[in-house]
Amino acid sequence: MEEKEVLDELKTILVARLKFDPRRAAETTESTPLPKGVAGSIGLDSLDFIELSIAIEERFGIAMDENQDLTEHFASFDSLSRFIAGKLRSA
Amino acid sequence: MTQVVVTGLGAVSPYGAGVAEYWKGLAGGACAIRDLTLIETDGFRCRLAAEVPEPLAGSARRTRADRLAIAAAGEALADAGLGARDCAAAALVVGAVGGGMLEAEAWYWRTARAGVRPASLSALRAVLPSAHAETLGSRFRLGGPRHTVVTACSSGAVALAEASELIAAGVVDVALAGGVDAITRICFMGFNALKLLDTAPCRPFDRERRGMSIGEGAGFMVLEAEARARARGARVYATLAGHGMTTDAFHVTAPEPEGDGMVRAMRAALAGGGITPAEVQYANAHGTGTPQNDRIEARALARVFGEGGLLVSSSKSMIGHTMAAAGSLEAIATVLALGHDLVPPTANLATPDPDVPFDCVPRAARAARLGCAISNSFGFGGQNVTLLFRRGVA
Amino acid sequence: MARVVITGVGVVSAAVTGDSAALGAFLAAPFAPAAGALGAGAVAALVDPGESRRLSRVCQLTIAAARLALRESGLDPAAGLGLVVGTEFGDLASTHAFADGFLARGPGGLSALMFPNTVMNTMVATTAIAVGARELALTLNAPTVAGELAVARATAAVASGRVPAVLAGGVDELDPVVERELERFGFDAERRSEGAVFLVLEPRVAAEARGAPVLGEISAAAWRALPARPWGVGRTCRSPAIEAVLEAAGARAADLGWVYASGSCDDARDRWEEQVLGAALGSEAPVSTLGRLLGRHAGLGVLRVAAGAWTARSGLLPATDGATRVERVRPGRGLVHGLARGGTHVALVVDAA
Repeated sequence: MEEKEVLDELKTILVARLKFDPRRAAETTESTPLPKGVAGSIGLDSLDFIELSIAIEERFGIAMDENQDLTEHFASFDSLSRFIAGKLRSA
Repeated sequence: MTQVVVTGLGAVSPYGAGVAEYWKGLAGGACAIRDLTLIETDGFRCRLAAEVPEPLAGSARRTRADRLAIAAAGEALADAGLGARDCAAAALVVGAVGGGMLEAEAWYWRTARAGVRPASLSALRAVLPSAHAETLGSRFRLGGPRHTVVTACSSGAVALAEASELIAAGVVDVALAGGVDAITRICFMGFNALKLLDTAPCRPFDRERRGMSIGEGAGFMVLEAEARARARGARVYATLAGHGMTTDAFHVTAPEPEGDGMVRAMRAALAGGGITPAEVQYANAHGTGTPQNDRIEARALARVFGEGGLLVSSSKSMIGHTMAAAGSLEAIATVLALGHDLVPPTANLATPDPDVPFDCVPRAARAARLGCAISNSFGFGGQNVTLLFRRGVA
Repeated sequence: MARVVITGVGVVSAAVTGDSAALGAFLAAPFAPAAGALGAGAVAALVDPGESRRLSRVCQLTIAAARLALRESGLDPAAGLGLVVGTEFGDLASTHAFADGFLARGPGGLSALMFPNTVMNTMVATTAIAVGARELALTLNAPTVAGELAVARATAAVASGRVPAVLAGGVDELDPVVERELERFGFDAERRSEGAVFLVLEPRVAAEARGAPVLGEISAAAWRALPARPWGVGRTCRSPAIEAVLEAAGARAADLGWVYASGSCDDARDRWEEQVLGAALGSEAPVSTLGRLLGRHAGLGVLRVAAGAWTARSGLLPATDGATRVERVRPGRGLVHGLARGGTHVALVVDAA
């Protein structure tokens, strides 16, 4: 799966699992910051990230290792897509 | 202000029925967290819990949680020697979360999977947390004020605090109060989904701790106005000398990082009892075993009592997190500790976390001269409660 | 013991949404709305999209009503605010949805965001965050009388000085699964609806000192349990709760000019309450049962207390036996009463400011 497809899937997850308004989700780009407290971010908190992890595991069939610090991968859709695409390639 | 004393105890715990079994397990440092058998666990990371062993007392037509509540409440009333007239005027406060959800789930699962809708009015009615108060109130003919509090993991403790308020205000002079929860699929699945459960039995205050373990049970106390207890020659376990209740108003699941709400609850309990931090020798911690709770609770304890200022242990290391029963079962553990001058240990504590500046009584119970002790319960949504107990009567 | 007054009212319901003025206008010309259910977007003005993403519907209703009440009172939560919310059904909608996720897709279908809503304190937890309430926060679950119970409990908290001010409320939403099962078991005669209602309660002295609107006084509040089987209708008519509030308020039955009762077309239960009220008060004071018009939910129990304050001021009572009309009654103190199957009952004496 290419990073562009991964990004589209993530936007679907934003709506279906994180309950974002579809227009707001459509407005996000690869570089939109994800975590709360970062200027211009979509404001995800710790609970949102858990939901996102569950959704990613289900949708992409990969395992997210909670013992590993994944913070850097969750910085933006860009970093997240690259992380997921990388896991899919090595699966 | 009327002093509130504890004159009756009743418990059903993962060790079995009765307060004697409960204390024997705690004092022995026995861990009751094992493979879950009550519900299906396939596909989940953590498959452990501290279940109440079979057989349960009471009719199988009742919900599991109701059976636990009836057994524990009945024991407490008998222990206090309350008769029909006492009960007619007694208040009842129940802390509950799951109610009869286990049976309602079984009904819902059958409906979804088999496409049939079995008729079960009792499952529908019994699902709400208030069902236990209806059952107990009717069964034991309790005619005083009756209410059910739902404050997540601190419900059992809030029930005790509420009952003591009614007595202190002179509304009643005797009350039955406590909490109950049976294991439910929703609770088990939800904590798994939040990744808050350890795949091994929980290790509160351990450097390697990875999360909670789920448990179930029921704990009830009879609380009484001191003068009334004295007049009838009742045996007094301890005085419920003070309580504090605060709200983090921070996040629906995560505790507020500085532990301000916890500190305020502990300080309010001490102030209510006119007790200084130096006079407290033991804290029965909320101590769930999650990295966050234990770190923040330890910091809050240090702010109130000073580093190393008292012994700390977590009963959840042995009986798991019994949800709505936790606050009252752990209050019972605290009262028994005072009575026996014996601090129950923190089980599974192999490598104490260096960031926790307290002796957490690893693995073996500790004899200690105890004058006052607190019991902490910090629920989801930042619902913080501290109960302060003093040995004997003032 | 402090005297407890009402300084703000917030109502979100199909019939009326707004503060004490909106409620008063409704009570002066009451009507049964076409449906008990609230329309979509009912709370859009009070809960912004950034917040509402993370809030279930019943939590949004709760926050909206709490904000309306706080706005009217002008109270600053930073000075210390408690929160007591009564509910009969909590967030059952989220509970079904959470279970459905698993039943459809296994563990991967579970929603971490939804899980906290499966615990009934979710409305209190989210409202405490939304308004900044950091003192005691309680969720009280009871059949029928959860709203009145929350007001009675909150009154005790303010009167005792434990908390400087309390937001006391009730909320329930209509849940299709519950409704379907209740109908299957023959409970469709009773009227049920949904909504959220809050009062701000403060000590009279503090309210007057800061120039807050004083909308009414709760002179006494008590709750007890009459003998009955669980969810059953009892036969005892003597009410310790009514006796307790008359004594605490220094009142006799004849001093009460009006009564708001908790009837909602559950005929057996309604009859029991009539007998209890008759035994305590005779048949002098006119009785209003808004539940027959608007449908029962925990918010309505709180609304009845606010309505009591309006009646105490205005001398008007929306009567609901037969045709809906507004009667003239003796202004001043009256009784708000609630009685549930199983016997839990609540009584409050409410007076003009």
